[in-house]
Amino acid sequence: MRAGFLAGVLLLAGGYTWIAFAELAWLSSAGRLGPAFFPRIIGVALVALCAWSLAAELRHDARERLAEFWRVTLVLALLSGLFVAALDVLGGLVSMIAYMAATLAFLNRRRHWQNALLAVLLPLAIYLLFRVWLNAAVPRGLLPF
Amino acid sequence: MDLFANLLLGFSVAVSPLNLAYLFAGVMIGMVVGIIPGFGPAAALAVLLPVTFGMEPAGAVIMLAAIYYGSQYGGTITSILLNTPGESSTVASTFDGYPLAQQGRAGPALVMQAVASFAGGTLGVVLITLLAPPFSQLARSFGPPEFFLLVVMGLSTLIVMLGGNWRLGLISALVGLALGTVGVDLETGNSRFTFGSAEMIGGIDFIPIAIGLFGLGELYYAFYSGLHVTGTGGIVQLQKERPFWPTLRDYAETRWALARGSLLGFVVGVLPGAGATVASLMSYSLEKSVSKTPENFGKGAMAGLVGPEAANNAASSGAMVPLLTLGIPGSAATAVLLAAFVLWGLTPGPLLMAQKPEFAWGLIASMYLGNMALLALNIFAIPLFVQMIKLPYRILAPAVILVCTIGTYSVNGSIVETWLMFGAGLVGFFMKLHGFSPAALVLALVLGPLAEQSLRQTLAISRGSFGIFLERPVSLAILGITLTMLVAGIAMRRARRQD
Repeated sequence: MRAGFLAGVLLLAGGYTWIAFAELAWLSSAGRLGPAFFPRIIGVALVALCAWSLAAELRHDARERLAEFWRVTLVLALLSGLFVAALDVLGGLVSMIAYMAATLAFLNRRRHWQNALLAVLLPLAIYLLFRVWLNAAVPRGLLPF
Repeated sequence: MDLFANLLLGFSVAVSPLNLAYLFAGVMIGMVVGIIPGFGPAAALAVLLPVTFGMEPAGAVIMLAAIYYGSQYGGTITSILLNTPGESSTVASTFDGYPLAQQGRAGPALVMQAVASFAGGTLGVVLITLLAPPFSQLARSFGPPEFFLLVVMGLSTLIVMLGGNWRLGLISALVGLALGTVGVDLETGNSRFTFGSAEMIGGIDFIPIAIGLFGLGELYYAFYSGLHVTGTGGIVQLQKERPFWPTLRDYAETRWALARGSLLGFVVGVLPGAGATVASLMSYSLEKSVSKTPENFGKGAMAGLVGPEAANNAASSGAMVPLLTLGIPGSAATAVLLAAFVLWGLTPGPLLMAQKPEFAWGLIASMYLGNMALLALNIFAIPLFVQMIKLPYRILAPAVILVCTIGTYSVNGSIVETWLMFGAGLVGFFMKLHGFSPAALVLALVLGPLAEQSLRQTLAISRGSFGIFLERPVSLAILGITLTMLVAGIAMRRARRQD
């Protein structure tokens, strides 16, 4: 799995380095070091180091087992992603309530009353803290809150 | 005389009722942040940044700094009672803290850690008071070569000292530096890596990245490790039948560990990149090596708890020196503090103490008061925090995710940054899983623009010659310290492997 992650970083580093060489100038019009100077150094170092680490990783060929709780982590990450996606549509308060209700139903099973109470009270407290007390921006969706 | 006048000025700012309230709120929040495993001070500071928008600059930074050093106190409670460090800097406190609790000495262990944290933190603030002005004076003679070398020193020390695979640490730092180049090149005005997006022209803001990596990423990893199931199962109850207070022997046996830990911690904290975690681990090794009974270490030696505790708190104070006098953060948490300074229109660096003395000295004075408040809280409010530890992680974690998400949005009202935070959370999880260093990434992202600018200016001054780094005495001294730190780091890694 680490090899896969390293391969992904290597791919991105390759793209970054290619842009640094192809699209950015080494010297500025005044003859001083230009916008490509630093990115090219970083890009080359990153590609070289990723390739070296990837080769070392493949040599070891250590097959890692997924931990017991990878499904919980995956569901939690999916719910967090859906929460962010819902912010623009449902607005901050409703999205928070929906997210808490779904997450607690999954993690804190068979405690319906406790979950319902927490799913309403916690988001409400956070909404009041940010929107009312601090006057900070909270996403507004199709509803006004 | 100037020193006392400045301190008086600082106390006059710190003891205003509003600033005292912010200070107390900060230490309370810091304690809570410290006891939540998987939610560190960097993420907490980033999330709470918008909370400070309505405050005066001095009050805001006093509160944020209190959260930072307060978290060092709180992290130890879980180390002692749960064998789970609340912060990475309290890992060393589990080695002897938890065995002490298992022996029915949780009360004395908690009191001794509070005393050690207070002594380390306060000695650290005394040293800041004495050293910050001359440091600030010295820093005024620094030019681009020195600033570039300080960045190199911070990043290389962080990578080598924190253990793990150095190649993965270096890759993390390089990714951070690469992200730091996104946006407009300040010297030429050219856009770089923006792909035509107006949102990217200003560069990648590190606040969503820090919240994602240290907040969301750490929480996902905690779930992956099963913390929601094991949760607080391992808690050692404070046993009422045993004496709660330490004995005179406990104090007598650990007085030198306290002094050594405090001094070592401060020195390590001042060096950019090393930080509280390294300081506490170094202190533990030191105490074990000088002890007449090293075989007791790991089985409940009080010196093995007191030394690292004094060290990590002194280091968190020491880390304020490069931040205040050079404008260079030594850790991810102090990087967020730097962002807070900038948000308030303050420029940390050599001129801060001269131009904004009420602010710089107000912050320093508040740290004296903060450490006193934390000592009292850690002794008299322990039952309250023990109750908090008992909160199930499966309820606590979703609530923290809510705060991370809404907190990120509220900084700039940007849904793009909220997605960026979510992406950083996923990346942070995989980084943690595969042994990369999120701290190196964030620090490099913050320091990257300074590194690039100072390197380009250096090479412009020297007409392209790297020999300039060896020609200037201060540069040479920084190079020497960096090499010493690297050699010490490599030696520490070898020693740890042999252990």
